[in-house]
Amino acid sequence: MTDYAAKDVPMTAQARVKTTRNYATDLAARGEPMVFAMGGSLAIGLLMIIGILGLIAWFGFTTFWPQHIVQVTSKDGKVIAGEVFRSESFKPADAQLAAVPAESRAKIEEDLGYAERTLYRVGNYDLYGEDFQWRNEYDVAATEMPADMTFIERQEWGPFVGRITALSLNGVVTQNPTLDAVNAAVSEGQARREAILDLKTDEIGRISTEMEELRLEVKSAALDYGATDQRTLDKTAEVAEKTKALEAQFAEKTTTLQSLQAEDAKYTMTLADIGGQTKEQELSSIVRLYQPNQMSLFEKLGIYFGRWGEFIFSEPREANTEGGVWPAIVGTLAMTVLLSLLVAPFGVMTALYLREYAKQGRLVSFVRICVNNLAGVPSIVYGVFGLGFFCYVLGGTIDQLFFPEKLPSPTFGTGGVLWAALTLALLTVPVVIVATEEALASVPRSMREGSLACGASKWQTIRWIVLPRALPGIMTGLILAMARGAGEVAPLMLVGVVKLAPELPLDLSWPFIHLDRSFMHLGFHIYDVGFQSRNAEAGRPMVFVTTLLLIAIILAMNATAISVRSRLKRRFAGSQF
Amino acid sequence: MSAAASSPAETPAARQVDEYGYEPTFYHVKEGEKGPNLTIEDFSLWYGQSRALWNINLGAQKGMVTSLIGPSGCGKSTLLRSLNRMNDLVDGVKTSGQVALDGMPIFGPAVDVIALRKRMGMVFQKPNPFPMSIAENVTYPLKVDGVTDKTMLAEAVENGLKGAALWDEVKDRLKDSALGLSGGQQQRLCIARAIAGNPEVLLMDEPCSALDPIATMKIEDLIDELKGTYTILIVTHNMQQAARCSDNTAFMYLGRLIEYGETDTIFTNPKLKRTEDYVTGRFG
Repeated sequence: MTDYAAKDVPMTAQARVKTTRNYATDLAARGEPMVFAMGGSLAIGLLMIIGILGLIAWFGFTTFWPQHIVQVTSKDGKVIAGEVFRSESFKPADAQLAAVPAESRAKIEEDLGYAERTLYRVGNYDLYGEDFQWRNEYDVAATEMPADMTFIERQEWGPFVGRITALSLNGVVTQNPTLDAVNAAVSEGQARREAILDLKTDEIGRISTEMEELRLEVKSAALDYGATDQRTLDKTAEVAEKTKALEAQFAEKTTTLQSLQAEDAKYTMTLADIGGQTKEQELSSIVRLYQPNQMSLFEKLGIYFGRWGEFIFSEPREANTEGGVWPAIVGTLAMTVLLSLLVAPFGVMTALYLREYAKQGRLVSFVRICVNNLAGVPSIVYGVFGLGFFCYVLGGTIDQLFFPEKLPSPTFGTGGVLWAALTLALLTVPVVIVATEEALASVPRSMREGSLACGASKWQTIRWIVLPRALPGIMTGLILAMARGAGEVAPLMLVGVVKLAPELPLDLSWPFIHLDRSFMHLGFHIYDVGFQSRNAEAGRPMVFVTTLLLIAIILAMNATAISVRSRLKRRFAGSQF
Repeated sequence: MSAAASSPAETPAARQVDEYGYEPTFYHVKEGEKGPNLTIEDFSLWYGQSRALWNINLGAQKGMVTSLIGPSGCGKSTLLRSLNRMNDLVDGVKTSGQVALDGMPIFGPAVDVIALRKRMGMVFQKPNPFPMSIAENVTYPLKVDGVTDKTMLAEAVENGLKGAALWDEVKDRLKDSALGLSGGQQQRLCIARAIAGNPEVLLMDEPCSALDPIATMKIEDLIDELKGTYTILIVTHNMQQAARCSDNTAFMYLGRLIEYGETDTIFTNPKLKRTEDYVTGRFG
């Protein structure tokens, strides 16, 4: 300010000039400076999710498609045949390069020292001792796709890639049989296999079970009355008689089984691999066979969906790397449903007490913090707790009280679907408690007051007004808990999940739900197939297929829960306040 | 209510002020034939350390409408919510003094709060219908009592809705959600719900503050119809409303009952300066 201005302008006006706001827009207030970061985060997140889902979907959906069988002749004259499994670039070692012909070497040098190689699934594990073989591109002299190359899936030893040279049906030998004749013989073979399996599991299995039950009756009589008591002796005599009858039946069935197996062994076919090695194969051990190089699209689709059907509805074989995952699907679903049934009432009641009844203060805040922190405890810790407390303490006590005759073999005293569900319920209960508390807190005070003013008691208000209103929020918590529980693997390995379960937790024999049984789980199946199997390369496609299936199941369960929730929410829609 | 019988000869100027500068309450109540139904005696209330009500003495006449007016924060709603003990839900509330419904005290360890609330219907500032059907809303007090008889419930729905002047509008959609009604209809539904429990007293906490003028008019007509059957206490910010529908008016200011008496007198010829300033719009 100049002097004259200071003289002319009165004090008040001067003060006003000083406090006048600067009306120019600050740079930080222009545009939307952080929008790129927010949008960018969303885009990166989406890309990652789409990436992983895309990867799983691509490998999951293509695994079962019948591939062509390629016959590869190397420059040194070796011939192999198999499906192209994957290709990659690699850098051959110098010593390796020295052996390469000059023109190929020039090409490799042009590509900065990298060469291509392809992994072929050659099958015939019983002949070669390996399922896969690499072929370097520069070693390959010729590739072709002979029309009569056959891909044969077997119950054991993995697939056979080669040709069918002869069919031997009960001594009648046909050289170079037609594919139709082979297929007909194979389906007969499968029928024989079914019959043998039925006899083995159903009838002979039933006799063994009955004998075991009789043995347990004697044992439990001995436990109840003492070993020398007359009643025990009577029981022993009675059981011995029954057992004798059963043993006779058992011997009879075993003879039938042996004759069936001997009969079955007469139906075989002769297979020859690309190098001319032959193998005699029983027809009943064939799962399916096809000649992919001369199949139409429709035939391939048939094989594709057939394999999906087998995958979903049949039992695993070959150390889980082949066959289906039906027991794992049933196990996962049974455990998740049981988990929801356990966690819902437990979590909701806890949250109700915390929010509605407990006096809000330091103690309740402390409990709330503890509950929230429980969600951060590593899941394997819950597994250890489940094993120690549920399996050994609770299960052990149950065994001693109710199943003493079966000891020392445990009934509930080991991992089982009930203990697994309880462990996961413990793991997921914080999620339900927190969500329920939020939902309860969001019920408007005016609703509660309206109900109380009508003369309703606290419980009536909770039962008729608060809980229905909070139900969508509670459902959200349950959905989160279910998703977490269905995807959890680590604690399950300790409390009941096994590599291969002999029986399903749900079946048609009384009492239908067998809470004591160990079970298979898709999540563990993925781990087992991918990292624990003899042949990781063969298991890899199954990892993707199983992952795809697990994601689909979780998605389906969540979609069901979400649709229930939105139906509940719609009941409260239209509120103006 | 000895103070209520203060003689008309007493003039405000002659009255002694207390240590805070407040005169004792000035009473000129219009007595009903049946006398007071709800009597508040020397009632004070604290939220934790802060005192919200100061020694209120007030008698609501049976079958008449008593309105509570006063600027925001003067304790009208607190007083109303004390009557059916809704303030029990607020942490740290302490009271002294007594309120009696037909001579029966409502504060004390032996009082059955639920039974008390069944004798008093309450209508709130914001319509708060439950997320149920219209019929279920009306029968909620009966449901609370464990009534399951279908004909009784149907009768209660019809009586309640007719009593709240809502029957003609909703009789064809009793099964529809109550949340689909308009604000005014929702508030009348809440009145129907309050009277379905067959109470003696109706407490209304600014029942029209969230409503448009037409809906307000309907509620006021309804209050006119309901009076006689029920003793009505109504908290309102709207002085015209108090003037239109109440028999007695209590003016409250900063937790004190300043003047309590016949509505016409309060609005046309208030006895105290503070009341006059408020009803003439000089403050508040």
